[in-house]
Amino acid sequence: MPLPKHIYQAFEDIVGPENISDDPAVLDSYRYSLAHTAIHVGPFYDTFTPRGLAVLLPGSTEEVQAIVRLCNKYGIKFKASSTFWSAQGYPSDDNTIQLDMRRMDRILEIDEKNMFAVIEPGVIGATLQAEAMKVGLNTHIQGAGCSCSPLASATSYFGSGPSNLFAGSHYENMLGVEWVMPTGEILRTGALGSGCGWFCGEGPGPSLRAIFRGSTGAKGAMGVFTKCAIKLFPWPGPDKLPVEGIIPAYRVSLPNFRAYTLAFPSWKAWTDAVHLIWETGIGYLAHRQFNMFGRDLKFAMIKILTDPNRTLSDLEELLQDPEVQRVTEESRRDFQIVLAGMTPRDLEWQERALDEILARTGGWKVEAMQEPEIHDWALLYLLRLGHKNLNLVYAGGYDGCFGFLGVPDYGAPNVEEVTEFKREWEKRGAIVAAGGDCMMGPIGGQGGGGTCLWENFTCFDPHDRESVEGTYKFFSACTEYGIKRGWGVGMENWNAAAVGPDGRTPPKEVRDKIHLSAPQPSIYRYQYKIRKAFNPNNLGDAYYETLEDD
Amino acid sequence: MPLEDFAGEMDRCSQCSYCKWIPFDQMKSWRFAKNCPSIAYYNFNSYSARGRYAVARSLIRGQIGYTDTLRRIIFTCLTCGSCDVSCKVCRYNLEPLEMVRELKFRAVEDGQGLDAHVAVIESVRKDQNTMSQPRAQRGDWADGLDVPRLPREKAEVVFHAGCRYSYDPALHAAARAAVTLLKNAGIRVGIMGEREMCCGGRIYSMGYRDEFTRLARANFKAWADAGVKTVVTSCADGYHAFKRLYPRLGLQVEVLHTVEFIARLLEEGKIPFRSSVPLTVTYHDPCHLGRQGEPYVPWDGVEKKILNQIIVYEPRRPRYNGAWGVYDPPRAVLRAIPGIELVEMERIREYSWCCGAGGGVREVYPEFSMWTAAERLTEAKATGAEALVSACPWCERNFLDAMDGNGEPVQVCDIVDLVWKATR
Repeated sequence: MPLPKHIYQAFEDIVGPENISDDPAVLDSYRYSLAHTAIHVGPFYDTFTPRGLAVLLPGSTEEVQAIVRLCNKYGIKFKASSTFWSAQGYPSDDNTIQLDMRRMDRILEIDEKNMFAVIEPGVIGATLQAEAMKVGLNTHIQGAGCSCSPLASATSYFGSGPSNLFAGSHYENMLGVEWVMPTGEILRTGALGSGCGWFCGEGPGPSLRAIFRGSTGAKGAMGVFTKCAIKLFPWPGPDKLPVEGIIPAYRVSLPNFRAYTLAFPSWKAWTDAVHLIWETGIGYLAHRQFNMFGRDLKFAMIKILTDPNRTLSDLEELLQDPEVQRVTEESRRDFQIVLAGMTPRDLEWQERALDEILARTGGWKVEAMQEPEIHDWALLYLLRLGHKNLNLVYAGGYDGCFGFLGVPDYGAPNVEEVTEFKREWEKRGAIVAAGGDCMMGPIGGQGGGGTCLWENFTCFDPHDRESVEGTYKFFSACTEYGIKRGWGVGMENWNAAAVGPDGRTPPKEVRDKIHLSAPQPSIYRYQYKIRKAFNPNNLGDAYYETLEDD
Repeated sequence: MPLEDFAGEMDRCSQCSYCKWIPFDQMKSWRFAKNCPSIAYYNFNSYSARGRYAVARSLIRGQIGYTDTLRRIIFTCLTCGSCDVSCKVCRYNLEPLEMVRELKFRAVEDGQGLDAHVAVIESVRKDQNTMSQPRAQRGDWADGLDVPRLPREKAEVVFHAGCRYSYDPALHAAARAAVTLLKNAGIRVGIMGEREMCCGGRIYSMGYRDEFTRLARANFKAWADAGVKTVVTSCADGYHAFKRLYPRLGLQVEVLHTVEFIARLLEEGKIPFRSSVPLTVTYHDPCHLGRQGEPYVPWDGVEKKILNQIIVYEPRRPRYNGAWGVYDPPRAVLRAIPGIELVEMERIREYSWCCGAGGGVREVYPEFSMWTAAERLTEAKATGAEALVSACPWCERNFLDAMDGNGEPVQVCDIVDLVWKATR
């Protein structure tokens, strides 16, 4: 049902006629296909998130505030999104307007001395990084890649990524925040709330980090974040990346950086090496990244991606190449690490420390990944994280399953079991046969290390009903298997309480059942109390997870 | 291929928004990070490639009907191809530019063409040009030039001036210089004069495929009748039409852009420079010479799956992603001119920002077209260059007009103008 004319007019008066639309063609470009990947639920063939009532493009905090106040006045839900990477950014209920924050895309300040940036929602990781590099600083880039909004991941999701290790994830890096609360009031948190600037998220002033983020980030369900400050960290490289190469095989050579793919004789050795890296304090970023292509396919894929003349059509031939087969086998238990020397001596020390770690664990540097064109491609890929569309390279659909979040000793011992489980499902044909192990994730879930996250990528064809439905069956089997093994519900179903098979919020009974089965259901009871206090008209959606059984 | 044949791509689009940005690896600043003028100007998702995939899907499913907004979404695409390049940094089985072109064809077939475009088509039908000018005046730009007039006289090389050079007096000098440079280098180059016809490239990008096909066949026949073996043009739109679009119809002839020809002649020592041109310049890669200037490779195949669900093509499908466009010859020419210092803008080569003149946008959405050109002027100015050099009259005209409309003042010229100066 369209917005009544007088309400549409009231919104238009706020943002101007060029920044609002309820044309069906515009609205349909803000519907997310759950056949493709919903991160993390589904996939559901030929299913889309609901059509919004209107799309608005606010240009300032004041406009956002006025929109939210009108929503409260008329009882209209609202969903703000910055870069629309996943279903989480789209309406999941009827009676919802979509706020597209792309006009608020300014980097308001880079405080070089105090090492932080003040940004708006539409700023993406790549632009922030490019500007920070000009003053010898860098930003952490979340795992979804540099096309995404650092503000969104800091205020509303995890913000985890390859440089967690050195830089901390974005939820750690968040400092002062400007929050248009669900009621339309503006709250400034941390030092900002006391008029002391952006430098601290916790005070002097109100810290409300846990209130507005909830347990895992409110994903646009608790008001709109219009500005925030993000910690930056040292960048010992040039002010611009000296990129060379022919698209898509771009590459960069930086004298004080090294990108290694490390491999190990056993998962125990792999785990020991991770612990030693954390203890030693080396590394600028570390991630099991390229394994997302699949244990059996990753080196062949790297050969394709680093050669502008190759395409996916070369994959089968490459897989027959004995050298590719040898490297594939050699890098079975691997991860990538980038060392960055603040000085030449620092780099030398890190290199020696890494060699010592490898000597102690029996690990090795995969030599084929040191070939200059591959090394420089991998270095650029990892530093900028600008190729995450490769998640969807095979057929356009992917999602992660299982998902062991914890110390490396928790996930690593299960890799082979999970690999075997997935490999059996690959034989049925619905998902890409990649070798069972497409486990990928950060080596260090937070600043300094501490945890790993293992997400087993699963690729499928969103245009093929059998593939989508077969993938769904596989994911359901993963959940069942995870529960049976005591691992709990995997990433494949993380958003099951927020969005269902029809692209909409599931009924309360379904949500309650999910939350009651969680290890700590009281979190969701507490969040319900928070929601009642801060969002009394309940104008967000179920991505802010609540249990209403009191 | 029919729009419905893109249904798979519509579902397989990553919805990642890479199509809104230059390749991330190449980003050097916040200011010049965007690639697609239409999403940068209109802001709604629907004005990006990912949005147009979604819009096209709703259209073929009958979930939306034509409105003014939908027509604007379709026809504000400049068909510059920047989305295509960025998408294909990672994707090997999507063709967003081809899909958007097909969306335009569908709109026109459905009777949704825009009035200003219809006027262009009428001009093409009546006078064989897009400029609503008399056909008889098409050859006036070459008055006094001592070159063969085809088909009355014979020459194996024809210089195709194109509609803009033919009817824009301010740009005549560049066309005259191009022909004279070739002639002075010993090339027997002819022109078609008033018999020359529009290449059809611009109307193709407006959605008029049938009219384009008629022109392509007519041009090809005229060249064949005149014994032409090589077509040279200074117009990037024409270059793209001849080199990439005509061969799809089976009409293959050797095609060279003037800068390619000049670069070749310079290598052979056939263009002697006599003067220094002390100027700091920056070069604008025209979309249709740069990223869309890759050689045509015939392909007739089908999609297939390997390893269960990986989409590939049998036989192997050519990949157009801007990797092999015409980027180096113009730079080689500029670097060879005594006195010229070439400084680069941030968005260059395959990820160059469009001038705003293409896709029929200049004719229908002048404000958007001028904004797009003004963005480029600002980028050029930021390099410290005194002049913005291009290799396409449509780019040049749009930049000149944008400057008149308060764009950053910078000297605008064609690369041939500078070569000509240096030979005087």
